[in-house]
Amino acid sequence: MSCSRRKFIASGCALVLGTGLANIPLVQSMTINGKRYAMLHDESKCIGCTACMDACRETNLVPEGVSRLEIIRSEPQGEYPDANYSFFRKSCQHCDNPPCVEVCPSGASFRDEETGIVDVNPDKCVGCQYCVAACPYQVRFIHPEKNTPDKCNFCRDTNLAQGKLPACVSACPTQALIFGDANDPASAISQQIATKPTYRNKVPLGTDPQLFRIADRNGDLPS
Amino acid sequence: MSTGIFDSVQHAFHFDSLVWHGPIALYLFLLGLSAGAAMLAVVLKRWILPRNNETLNNRASENGLIRATAIIAPASILLSLVILIQHLTMPLTFWRLIIYYNFTSVMSIGVMLLQLYSVVLALWMALLFRHELDQLIDRWMPGRIKNIYPRVMQSVAKFENTLEWLLLGIAISLGAYTGFLLAELKTYPLLNNPILPLLFFFSGLSSGVAGVMLLGVTVFKARLDAASTHWLHKLERPVILCEALALAALFSLLFYIGGRSEVAALAAIGGGFWSGVFWLGIVGLGLLTPLMLQTFTPAEARQRVSFVVLLTSCSLSGVLMLRYFILYAGQMTVY
Ligand code: SF4
Ligand code: SF4
Ligand code: SF4
Repeated sequence: MSCSRRKFIASGCALVLGTGLANIPLVQSMTINGKRYAMLHDESKCIGCTACMDACRETNLVPEGVSRLEIIRSEPQGEYPDANYSFFRKSCQHCDNPPCVEVCPSGASFRDEETGIVDVNPDKCVGCQYCVAACPYQVRFIHPEKNTPDKCNFCRDTNLAQGKLPACVSACPTQALIFGDANDPASAISQQIATKPTYRNKVPLGTDPQLFRIADRNGDLPS
Repeated sequence: MSTGIFDSVQHAFHFDSLVWHGPIALYLFLLGLSAGAAMLAVVLKRWILPRNNETLNNRASENGLIRATAIIAPASILLSLVILIQHLTMPLTFWRLIIYYNFTSVMSIGVMLLQLYSVVLALWMALLFRHELDQLIDRWMPGRIKNIYPRVMQSVAKFENTLEWLLLGIAISLGAYTGFLLAELKTYPLLNNPILPLLFFFSGLSSGVAGVMLLGVTVFKARLDAASTHWLHKLERPVILCEALALAALFSLLFYIGGRSEVAALAAIGGGFWSGVFWLGIVGLGLLTPLMLQTFTPAEARQRVSFVVLLTSCSLSGVLMLRYFILYAGQMTVY
């Protein structure tokens, strides 16, 4: 199929709505064919239980001491006992323009064109850690057993390969995590992005991150 | 009090956003030194020595400074590669760097440059020391090699001019490469800017000048009153000035950009362990001391070997500290 997602969404919406295209927030992606997996963390639903962290560790056999996913709790907003917290998901953003892939000297860090997922091929890696330093989100770490960089890969080789949702997504008790194909306008994630105000982290760096966030109603909006 | 100092030093070398450690600073220093020495070798041999009729029997290899470059350039590149490979999390897989390439990766381009550099440097050095090499081959090598050797050397000699220009070009690129490698890192505002390659180029050249001078006049007995030594001596000041200018430009730019860049600049030079290294070590010892020494020392005293040793040691340690400072202080602040 040689129709860009933008055009696809535009024509799809044109059929449904007929008019008012200019007001629809379109998310641009480099992927023209195939899927473009993305994730949405709804911070207004997140209760900070860290069930996602445990599920990820278990499913992807992540050793203690390192993690592919962290839920970072903000400073308390308001006075005890009425204090509120917001929660921030720290994990790979599966950038459309990933600095980690750009700097990797051997092509071990790569972006899968079929799915848009950024992953590491340990068989090509030399362990120079250029990618670890280049990731502005600081989500890469050296896997203590494999000695190569590791990070969230949307469960590409575990749950996703078995046709299941990523472990963190299924573990979330409040359904604060949504995973899906952002190239498919009918997917839940596309619907959410199209209808709710979302933000992404460090957009000015030009990385085009594909981890979307819905801000909690409390506190300052992170950038 | 003493634990306070200990803690701050601990903190200066161990923090969360630190990915690349000390050996990388040493690697960048040695690479800059090698590139600087190679640039000087070509310029000395091609322009400076012939101009002053200093080449005995038409042999540049007799010159003490040239001999110093012939040790520094290959030795420091070799050492730097050993250090780099040591620093990989899987040192035994380093060969993958030579098999797989990624043209968007500065490091990959650096690997190509390094390989080209090693070959060109080796060939050019062989030509430069042809007379010495002839004797060695004659004495130690078996007949077969003795037979092939003159023909090989003859065909290499045809490209001497090309090799020279190539070596100069690669050495300049390699000098800048040490800066581009870090400037690529979007994570760190202090590193992610266009001045860094310029700064590293000039400081690499400065370390080259100092290193060649130091080794040349001590070990290889280059005469201090020779025109070539004089030329190298005169080069010190403008190169150090360029280095200082690039350093000033780097921090002006960071403050001008503001935001996280300003935060990074302040964290680096506005207090703490690394700002001490910056002001005392890099600015004081590495830049101001040599400049002052050059300006205010009487002419007779400047002709002493001890003076040269003092001056070059200052600028060499300044450049070494600059590499450590940029690497560590650069990684302290993230976007
Ligand atoms: S978040 Fe980091 S590791 Fe993930 S794709 Fe972006 S740059 Fe690479
Ligand atoms: S550590 Fe491995 S994956 Fe990362 S940049 Fe180096 S070679 Fe590439
Ligand atoms: S998508 Fe998979 S790998 Fe990524 S954080 Fe969730 S469970 Fe971990």
